[in-house]
Amino acid sequence: MLKYIARRLIQMIPTLLITYTIIFALTYLMPGDPLRASLGEEYNRLSPETIAQIEEALGINRPFHEQYFEFLGRMIRFDLGQSYIQKEPVVDIIGYRLPRTIQLMLGGLTVSLTLGISAGIISAIKQYTWIDHALMIFALIGLSMPVFWQGLIAQLLFTQSAYGVAIFPVAGWGNGDLWYMVLPSLVLGTSLSATVARITRSSMLEVRSQDYLQTARAKGLKRNTILIRHHLRNALLPVLTVIGLQIAGLLGGSLLTETVFNWPGLGRAIVPAIQTRDTPVIMGILTYGAIVILAVNLITDVMYAVVDPRIRYS
Amino acid sequence: MANTGTVAQLKPEEAKNANRSRFVRAFLRNRVALFGLGIVIIVVFCAVTAPFISPYDPNTINPVDRLTPPGSVYFLGTDDFGRDIFSRLLYGASISIQIAIIAQGISVTLGVSIGLISGWYGGLIDDLIMRITDAIFALPGLIFLIVWVNIIDTSQWTFFNNIGFDPQKASIFIALGLIGWASDARMMRSQVLSLKEREYIIAAQALGLSVPRILIRHILPNAIAPTIVLATLGIAGVILTESGLSFLGLGVQIPNPSWGTMIDAGRNFTTNAWWYAVFPGVAIMITVLGFNFVGDGLRDALDPKLYE
Repeated sequence: MLKYIARRLIQMIPTLLITYTIIFALTYLMPGDPLRASLGEEYNRLSPETIAQIEEALGINRPFHEQYFEFLGRMIRFDLGQSYIQKEPVVDIIGYRLPRTIQLMLGGLTVSLTLGISAGIISAIKQYTWIDHALMIFALIGLSMPVFWQGLIAQLLFTQSAYGVAIFPVAGWGNGDLWYMVLPSLVLGTSLSATVARITRSSMLEVRSQDYLQTARAKGLKRNTILIRHHLRNALLPVLTVIGLQIAGLLGGSLLTETVFNWPGLGRAIVPAIQTRDTPVIMGILTYGAIVILAVNLITDVMYAVVDPRIRYS
Repeated sequence: MANTGTVAQLKPEEAKNANRSRFVRAFLRNRVALFGLGIVIIVVFCAVTAPFISPYDPNTINPVDRLTPPGSVYFLGTDDFGRDIFSRLLYGASISIQIAIIAQGISVTLGVSIGLISGWYGGLIDDLIMRITDAIFALPGLIFLIVWVNIIDTSQWTFFNNIGFDPQKASIFIALGLIGWASDARMMRSQVLSLKEREYIIAAQALGLSVPRILIRHILPNAIAPTIVLATLGIAGVILTESGLSFLGLGVQIPNPSWGTMIDAGRNFTTNAWWYAVFPGVAIMITVLGFNFVGDGLRDALDPKLYE
């Protein structure tokens, strides 16, 4: 097991390098520069000497390879420097926003696992009945709605008394008040819950004919014990895979959800950073975001072995 | 597979046809899939005939009628410039269909070719390609798109201007293709890996056929089916991704807006003109649902046992 984890960690190095290279090359290639983007009109009033000085200080006039390795070194040392625009250490920006994005993503995951797994179980037990058909069509509808549009609809229905009931706050983080995260989590979790429901269903159906379930029934175990301990537990492996694969998508979805609900997460910081060519912020958010995603993938793989002792990585 | 016995007794050509008709029959029996196909056909019809069937010009500004609710004059109401939302939706359909065909076409072509190469040659090339797909899976596609839109300067893309295709739109389609190929490539690769040990491929090699010929004539036709399913479901994803980009104000704008752009414009009016942002979303949902239904139906028809 440890050997497997070690090998996966080593495999992550080239993946991370490629990711870093893609991100750096993209950022480097962006036309315009942070000075012009942040100063706007004022930029034209600066003397060429001042501009050269600031560029020198920021290091943005140096050749590609020098900047490439300098940023790489800084990434490794967790020293991202200052945002060009906000004059704030990038570490602080990420430190403030990352927990809020993770909070939102955990909310979305909770929603999708709860809704998705229950719907999947019901569908599988009632296979080919109208409940099964209805749930699966619902799941497809959930998969087909743009997340930001769902957010707008949810805001109309649940925060405006003119169109529905005003029970939730319209937007914002509400200083950590969990009530504020209900709507964004529901919205973010919908499409993933649809995927989870479909996979839980098909995986439950596949496991159903296994001998050990027959044995469990023959032993006279209670129905629910069989369902949860023997049936569901063995059916959850593919769900894990999907969660691992969907984390990047969830991050993209959280960007849109954050935009609709004015949630102070990473997604809200990345768009302005890209538009103002704020390289340290872009590099920081994207590279560490990629690390988080790769780490989640590794964790899900390791969890296979925990959930299913038959899997042995060699 | 239950009917392998009978298929094996048929001549190759007959076996192929038998398989194909079994597949078509299975698809046609699936009511949900047919419903989805109906939706897709209607959307394509709207996209093609928009100039003839739309009641108003999509871009004519009519300040007197701004934010008119849905009714007998304006079927789905008007936006803040008094433009007819229904007509704009009809024109927007063409962008969704173009995304489905062009953007998804790029990503499938890339994915299939890269997957063929990766699976066939193996070794270092395969390792490198697989690490690249890992990297793509670790980057949220939407964020790549935002960066891309900010980088690419389409003012030099005279080629697209010359053929009358908006360069900004072309650039977004290319980017959508660039982020979508990884899953197709992996699917293709796994198919190639299992096919390349089969006798008929080894025979083809022994006959001295060239690698491109083996890949295209012998492996591709036998490996393409799961990729087609994946690609159909991928259309749904790519339409949603573009709508997200448009919602952030970075999507297809000219000459007619995509549905996502309309939602972005309408979100500031949700409290006094709900129809503005709601109907474009309904249009996206119905279209995406259509492709999802079709993709699901194809998958079930292809192999009833194979779900995810």
